[in-house]
Amino acid sequence: MQHSEMNYVKKALPSNLRSIGLLLLIAGIILGLVAYFIDQPRAMFNYLISYMFLISIGVGSLFLISLEYVANADWSVPLRRVIEHLAAIIPLLFILVLPLFFSIHDLFHWSHPEAVSEDKILQGKAPYLNATFFIIRSIAAIVIWSLFYFFISRNSLKQDETKDQKLTKTNIKLSAAFIPFFAVTITVSAIDWMMSLEPHWFSTIFGVYFFAGTVVASLAAVTLFVVKLKEKEYLHPKVTNDHLFSLGALMFAFVNFWAYIAFSQYLLIWYADLPEETFWFLHRWEGSWTVFSIALIVMHFIVPYAVLLAQPAKMDMKKLKFISIWLLAAHLLDLFWLVMPNMSVHAHGYVFSWIDLVFPVFIVGFVILVFYYRANKTNLLPSGDPKLNRALDFHI
Amino acid sequence: MTIDYSKELPTVEGRLSISQIEELVAKPLDSKPDKKFFMALSISGGFLMIGAICLLLSFYYGIGLWGNNQPVGWGFDIVNFVFWVGIGHAGTLISAILFLLRQKWRTGIARFAEAMTIFAVMCAGLFPAIHTGRPWLDGYLLPYPNQHSLWVNFTSPLIWDVFAVSTYFTVSLVFWYVGLIPDFASLRDRTVSKIRKTVYSILSLGWRHSNRHWLHYEKAYLLLAGFATPLVLSVHTIVSFDFAVSILPGWHTTIFPPYFVAGAIFSGFAMVVTVLIFVRKIFDLQNIITMDHLEKMNKVILATGLMVGYAYGMEFFIAWYSGVQAEQFVFINRAFGPYAWAYWIMVSCNVIFPQLFWFRKIRRSIPLMLIIVILVNVGMWFERFVITVTSLHRDFLPSSWGYYIPTLYDVGILMGSFGLFFTLVILFTKTIPVVSISEVKAVTDGAQPSHHGGSHA
Repeated sequence: MQHSEMNYVKKALPSNLRSIGLLLLIAGIILGLVAYFIDQPRAMFNYLISYMFLISIGVGSLFLISLEYVANADWSVPLRRVIEHLAAIIPLLFILVLPLFFSIHDLFHWSHPEAVSEDKILQGKAPYLNATFFIIRSIAAIVIWSLFYFFISRNSLKQDETKDQKLTKTNIKLSAAFIPFFAVTITVSAIDWMMSLEPHWFSTIFGVYFFAGTVVASLAAVTLFVVKLKEKEYLHPKVTNDHLFSLGALMFAFVNFWAYIAFSQYLLIWYADLPEETFWFLHRWEGSWTVFSIALIVMHFIVPYAVLLAQPAKMDMKKLKFISIWLLAAHLLDLFWLVMPNMSVHAHGYVFSWIDLVFPVFIVGFVILVFYYRANKTNLLPSGDPKLNRALDFHI
Repeated sequence: MTIDYSKELPTVEGRLSISQIEELVAKPLDSKPDKKFFMALSISGGFLMIGAICLLLSFYYGIGLWGNNQPVGWGFDIVNFVFWVGIGHAGTLISAILFLLRQKWRTGIARFAEAMTIFAVMCAGLFPAIHTGRPWLDGYLLPYPNQHSLWVNFTSPLIWDVFAVSTYFTVSLVFWYVGLIPDFASLRDRTVSKIRKTVYSILSLGWRHSNRHWLHYEKAYLLLAGFATPLVLSVHTIVSFDFAVSILPGWHTTIFPPYFVAGAIFSGFAMVVTVLIFVRKIFDLQNIITMDHLEKMNKVILATGLMVGYAYGMEFFIAWYSGVQAEQFVFINRAFGPYAWAYWIMVSCNVIFPQLFWFRKIRRSIPLMLIIVILVNVGMWFERFVITVTSLHRDFLPSSWGYYIPTLYDVGILMGSFGLFFTLVILFTKTIPVVSISEVKAVTDGAQPSHHGGSHA
C-alpha cells in the first residue's frame, strides 16, 4: 500500500475484528443479564465500574485531543484519529447510563429516604445528593462531552477533505473551552458516582484522583491501539519509535502523577487521623481488601514505573503493548477498589463471585466494536491537518 | 490574524545570525555598568537595607516586634516563606519540565527564570530561619549525631521542608550551572581582559565545544531535568504539608498538594513575566524573548490560574458537603468574616483578572499583561495570607478569637526580601548572560536538520 502525506489511501480494518468485538460484547451482555437476575446489586456495582471505565477511556481521549490542540502539539497528529475513535464512546454514554439510573436505589445509600431521615449529615447533603439533581448532573455532563466531541471530531474529519486551516483554529478554541468544562464534569462524575457511594466520606482531591486515573487509562488504550495498528501496518510508515516514545513518556508521567495524587490523599488523611476521614481507608484495609490495596500500589505504580523508566522501554513495541494492557487492568482495579468495598456484602473483606469477571468482557467487546465501526467510516490519518507534515517529520 | 499551522513558529525572530545572538546576549557583560544600573541597584539596595535594619532590630529585641499574636502564631514570616518558595517554582519548571516536554521556546527564558528561582529560594530560606526567633540556633535543624542525643522531629513536615528546600536549591543551582558551562566558555573565548579570561576559564571547566563534550553535556542535562522534575513538584507539596497534615479546618484538606503546586507555578510565571517584560526591553532582547514567548507564558498563567480557581471552589464545596460544622464556619468566615477583604483580593486577582488572558489581544499587549501579572503576584501573596491567617484567627472557642495586624517591622522585612531578590537579579544581569547563548543558537533557523527547511523557507 502506497502511503504519502498527499494521497493517503485508506485500508479497511479486518472484519474478524468485528466478529471478535461482537462476540465479546454479546457474551458480556448475556452473562451480565444472567448476573443481574442472580444478584442484582452485585451486577449493578460491577456495571457502575464498567461505566466509569468507559468514561475514563472516552472522555479521557477527548481530553487528550484537546490537549493536542491547545498545546499546538505536532507529534500526535498522525495518531489523533485513533484517539478520536476511542472518544466515539462518548455519545453512547447516553444509553450506557440508563441502567444505572434505574438502580440508584441499589447503589446509593443516600437515595433511601428512611436512611436520610435518621442521619443528620445526610440531611445536610440532601440538596446535592438527591436522585433528581443527580440525574440532571449526570445527563448534563454527557451532553457537554457529546457536544464538544461532536464538534471537535466533525471539524477534524471535515479537514480531511477541505484541508482548511480555519478548522484547526476552531478546534483550538473548542479545546480550550472544553478543558475547564472537562475539569468540572469529571470531578462531578467522580464525586457523584464514586465518592457518594460512601456518602459520609469526603476528600477535596477526589476529582483530581479520578482525573489522573482517567488520563492513564485513556493513554494506555490509545497506546494499545496505536501499537496494534502499527504492527499490522495500518499507520503511516513515518509514525516511528519517536512517536511511540512520546506516548510512553506521557504514560510514565501520568503513572507518576496518579501515584503522587493517591499518596497525597492517603498521607494527609493518615497523618491527620480524623475518624470522619480515616474510616474510608480503614475499610479498604479490612480482611482481604488489604490484598487489593497493596495490589493497587504495585499494579498502578511500582510495576509501570519500573517498566517505563528506561528510555528504550518507551519505544519498545512489545513492552508498550504489555504495559498498556497492564495499565488498563490497573485502572479497572483502581475503580474496583473505589467502588466495590461500598457493597454491603464486602463489609469485612472481599467476597469473590464470578460476576466480577463478566463485565470486563463487555467493556473489551464494546470498545473494539466502537473503534471498528468508527474507523471503517473514516480515515485513519487526519490527512488534511496542516500540522501533518511536521508531525511525520517528528524526531526527538 | 491568521496563523499558518503547517509551520512552526520561529523561536528566534528577526532572522538573527548565530554571531548576532552571541553579540546581543554578551553585550551587557562587555560594557561598564551605566547610570541607570546604579540607580536601579540603589533602589533595590535601599529596600534591602530597610529589611536588614528591621531584621537586626527583631534579633535584638526579639520577635515581639512582629504582629504575631495568640491565636495567630503564624504571620508574615510564613506567608512570605510560602510566597517566595512559590515564586521559585517557575525557573526549574521552565528549564526541566518544559525541556522534557520539548518546548523549544523555553530556551529564551530558561536562564533568567532559573536565576530567579535560585534568588527566590534564597529569599524564602530566610523566613523559616528567622521565624524560629533565635536564628543562631538554626543549626539544630540539621540532623547530626551529637552528644546531647538531640534530634530533629522527623515526623514534622517543617523538617521535611528543610530537606526539600535545600535539595531543591542545590539541584536548581547545579542545573543552572551546568547550563552555564558552554556559555562561560563562549565568554572566555571572546573576552580580552586577562582577569575575566581567568575567571571564565575556571568557571567553564575546560569546555572546548567538542563533540564529546556536547554528547556528555546533553546526557547530563537530560538526566538532571528528569531528576529536577519531581523535585519541582515535591517542594511545594511539602510546603503544603506544613498546613495540611494538621487538623485545623482551612488547612487540613487533601487537595492542598496539587493546589499549592499549581499556585506556585502560577505565581512563579507571573513573576517571570513581570521581570522579563523589562529585561527584554532594557537589553534589547525582543527578538530572543519574543512576544510569542510572553503569550505562551500568559497561557500557562491562565491555565494554572484556572487550577487554583478549581481548588478554591473545591474547598468551598467540600466544606459544605462534608457536613463538618467547623469546616463550614472557616470558609464562611474567610469569605464574609473580618478578613473578607483579603479573601476577595485573592479571588479577584487570582481567578477573575487572569480570565482576561482568554483574549489573544490581551495576552499580547505589554501594558495589559504587566498589570495582570502584577495583580497575580499580589493575589498569590494574599492567598498565603488568607490561608495562614484566616484559618488561625478564630479558634474553636470564641474566647480565643483575635485579629492579626502586621507591624511596620513585618512590612519592612517583606520589603527587604524584595530588595534582596531584585538586588540579586540586577547584579545577575551584569555578570552572567541572561539568555542561554548556546541553547538559543541551537533553536535558530537552520541549526537543526529539518525536512522542510526553516520556518522562513
